[in-house]
Amino acid sequence: MNLTRVKAVIKRHWLILFRSPHRWFEIAFWPLMDVILWGSLGYFIAQENEASRASVPYLLAGLVLFWTLTQVQMTGSTAFMEETWTRNLLNVLTTSVKPIEYLAGIGFFGLVKLVMTLVTLTIATIALYGFDLSAIGWSVIPIIGLLIANGWAVALIVVGLILRYGQSAEILTWGLNYVVLAVSGVFFPIEALPAALHGFASILPTTLAFAAARQVLDGGAVPWSSLGLATLGTVAFLALAAWFGAAMLSVFRSRGFITRYS
Amino acid sequence: MARMKAMHPVPAVLRAQGLVKAFKGRVAVDQLDLTLAAGDRVGLLGPNGAGKTTTLLMILGAIKPDRGTIDLAGHHLPHRRSKAMEQVGFVAGYLPLPENLTVREALSLFAGFAGIRNPQPSVDRAIAEFGLEELADQRNQELSSGQRTLVSIAKATLHQPRLLVLDEPTASLDPDIAGRVRSSLLDLHRRNNTALLVTSHNMREVEALCERVVLMSAGRIVADGSPAEIATQFDVDDLEGAFLKVAADLRGPR
Repeated sequence: MNLTRVKAVIKRHWLILFRSPHRWFEIAFWPLMDVILWGSLGYFIAQENEASRASVPYLLAGLVLFWTLTQVQMTGSTAFMEETWTRNLLNVLTTSVKPIEYLAGIGFFGLVKLVMTLVTLTIATIALYGFDLSAIGWSVIPIIGLLIANGWAVALIVVGLILRYGQSAEILTWGLNYVVLAVSGVFFPIEALPAALHGFASILPTTLAFAAARQVLDGGAVPWSSLGLATLGTVAFLALAAWFGAAMLSVFRSRGFITRYS
Repeated sequence: MARMKAMHPVPAVLRAQGLVKAFKGRVAVDQLDLTLAAGDRVGLLGPNGAGKTTTLLMILGAIKPDRGTIDLAGHHLPHRRSKAMEQVGFVAGYLPLPENLTVREALSLFAGFAGIRNPQPSVDRAIAEFGLEELADQRNQELSSGQRTLVSIAKATLHQPRLLVLDEPTASLDPDIAGRVRSSLLDLHRRNNTALLVTSHNMREVEALCERVVLMSAGRIVADGSPAEIATQFDVDDLEGAFLKVAADLRGPR
């Protein structure tokens, strides 16, 4: 891996962000709107029912952690889509940049955007609802790490689908996150899901990560065995996503799909 | 000179052998062999759909051939593609430059993509060589088509490639700007002995730029030689006549 080329990929996407004010919406504005929406909903539920006073921290912890996965995933997917929107894909493909270097660049750039998003979310949740995610303690770090890795895996699958099916697959960039949102128990234990979904939800590493965060938030011990299982699942998911991305790149090259973007 | 070359063969900068590519059963490139030595200036011509761009994209590793082998700058594709591309540049008249970046920023970025650790000297050299000083701080979307083409060529030469692949570099440029682009390419060739592989529909341009022409039709090479040799082979006055004859043969009798 050539770090100069990785840095160039990071710089490319940093300049796009820096020069496009509307792209700051996904770092500052949308997360802020989500905090207001879910924080207020939790506040309302807590007011209505004293037994539900934990709803604000539940919802806001889920939200901050969900944004962790979402930001990493969306940055990876949209960074690649940016090359297709600006017809720059052939320019990049005909340089010496390797696919792994490109992915490392957009993966790191996703982390930069994630830090900015987490700063926004932390300030907003503390200032508006008095909730601080660091209440979970140090165990939040492996949970965030797991969600980052899952975000990268989803991004790899989206990039693979765009390589294979073209720009029509872009809708999945946003859509796949809602699968995670719906079945991973982001805001509630998965027992609240329809019974038919329990089996599927319980094997997702994201489900284990969100459940671990809630358990610690409730004052319980860090469920290390559960996080260990989530780590194994995440490694398997990443490996599957990497295989899928590589296979789709091979199809992209074999079928000459680059001509869609030139 | 030819005898000298025979005694001391110049190492090939490109050696493509037996390339075949079909899309959904339609053969786009059929048993194509193409070799370029260092410093060669070769025009790849043919009517629309002849397989020129598919050939270039296979040579650049963007499309995988169904059959055949490609050695580029001494590296076998596809496994050593990255290493090979360190010595190859690509310019396409139809590709835009990244928007919202100044010329200097875009060049610096592409120097990074080429793995140049300290891009400033390469960027300064490219700006000077292609006379881009006055444009250096303008954003790419503010440039005219001709200026963009010059910046694209500068971008593709930052790493001083041994082979520059150009797909219709002067398409949609006025004759004056197209002439300037051609001069820049010939200067580059003279300075660095850079091999040029050019596709174009402008026969005069090919005659001015290239010492050798490869004429394609329906995915196959139908002629390979100097512009004069090709004209003789087709019993016409010039390259344009040969091109028109190939296109007419492809269309069939009316």
